[in-house]
Amino acid sequence: MLLIFLSILQLFYVLLLSPLIFGIFSKFEERIESKKGPSIFQPYYDLFKLFRKQVVVPEVSSPFFHVVPYVEFALYSLLTLVLPIITAFPLEFGPTVDFIGGGLIFGAAALLKKIASLDSRSNYSHLGVSRAASMGALAEPITVLIFIMLGVISKTNNPYIINNVLQTSSSWYLSLTHWFVAAAFFMILLVETGKLPIEHHSTAELGMIDQAMDLEYSGMDLAFYKWGGYIKKFLLMSVFVNVYTVPFFVPMKYNLSSIAIYTGIHFLKLLGLVISMGLLEESISKFRLFKNFDYMAISFSLAFLSFLAFYTTNGGF
Amino acid sequence: MEKFFALIGFFEILLVLFMQWEVYTKKIITTFSIASYTIAVFLFYLGIMENKYLVVILAVLTAGVRGFFIPWFMKKRIVRDPWREREIKPTISTALSILISLSVVIFAYVLYRITFYDSVHLSDGSIPIALILQGVFLMISRRNAFIQLIGYMMMENAIFLFEGYLFPALPFIVEAGVILDLIGIIAIAGIVVKMMKNSTTDSNEFDELKG
Repeated sequence: MLLIFLSILQLFYVLLLSPLIFGIFSKFEERIESKKGPSIFQPYYDLFKLFRKQVVVPEVSSPFFHVVPYVEFALYSLLTLVLPIITAFPLEFGPTVDFIGGGLIFGAAALLKKIASLDSRSNYSHLGVSRAASMGALAEPITVLIFIMLGVISKTNNPYIINNVLQTSSSWYLSLTHWFVAAAFFMILLVETGKLPIEHHSTAELGMIDQAMDLEYSGMDLAFYKWGGYIKKFLLMSVFVNVYTVPFFVPMKYNLSSIAIYTGIHFLKLLGLVISMGLLEESISKFRLFKNFDYMAISFSLAFLSFLAFYTTNGGF
Repeated sequence: MEKFFALIGFFEILLVLFMQWEVYTKKIITTFSIASYTIAVFLFYLGIMENKYLVVILAVLTAGVRGFFIPWFMKKRIVRDPWREREIKPTISTALSILISLSVVIFAYVLYRITFYDSVHLSDGSIPIALILQGVFLMISRRNAFIQLIGYMMMENAIFLFEGYLFPALPFIVEAGVILDLIGIIAIAGIVVKMMKNSTTDSNEFDELKG
């Protein structure tokens, strides 16, 4: 019963706070550029406005196009219930999937989005799908490689156990293997969250990837599409701080007060990540589209070097 | 000490991968400078820990000559020929060359394990071999003379790292290192002279070709 309560608490925490993180991100970036910037609550205002707007669907699209934003939102909400966000012990749905299973759900949501964008029959959406598919085809194997390496560290693919191992074993936490994996995941995180140097959110179609895919959505459909996107990014960032880089302080045993305190700490961790990503975004420029593949090659190299670091420093064949 | 060596070694491997990614000559030279300073830090630490002043001298020489002087000298030469600042057309595409460089690291590891490992017994001894091969690949994958020179000096850095770690008491390394650096400087000077001849914009110098 308590686990169900905590699951619901975690779900509401993610659903309600995910837009805020991106409001803070935009505000922070604008402040670095010496501009006033929008309010940190701007994503909420946008969602609220979209919920009240009429839904307009392309005449040529099938009903599938209309359904996908809701399915996507549901899939990301399901992931919220199975990942270590405010606790390091599995909640009610925790044992349902491991990291690979979570990756498959992420992949399923991405696939549905791509098919729906193709269904819109818009040229720009097709452009975005083509680019997102090219990037995704390279990013997915790297992500699987990262999960395999985490499996080597913890002898399992369960994110909770990986967190517990890194939280308790300083030799693993400080190992080269772990930090190569973390660096590779950070590069993939920038790809998945659509940040520079991969993607710049402007109206120029030359650099559009993800943002070209939702051009035909409107009203409540767009609101759920965007909200789902916020949740996805929030989850990836949470996994990065909770499992890969700062696995500390996450409550490993049931204790309501420590979970309440950790909720605040988790938000602070995310703010730290937002600041570092904001500083990075403000100091580098966008790559040309075909240079993105060089970036992916470096990310793959880092993930693979973690293998080599494991064999060199921890064992051998 | 072994962990520190592995840390420095993998950092060097990453720096060479970064060089392979980069097209601007100036940034590659700066990366080489960072690589040399890192090796100097390792040698300094080694000298202090093992109480060997020759290794400390070697560290200071490495930092001074390869960390500071050679990069400074090369950058100074480049400013006079700004058009040379970039690798315009790499022989192999950047992404592929990064992956080949990574494969070279894996090849070096396998090679080391089946050959030298039985006599040396150092689990991370494959790192300098990987760096040597990566340096060779940097040389053959680029056309820019400065980047090729950097590839050569990365090989030399790798040898320094290996010898410094395995045989820290050899004073010969000090002399050999300095001599190799001098060879490098002479090579740079030779290339620069050739460049100056080839890049002149004054057509009067080619009077004899006009007939």
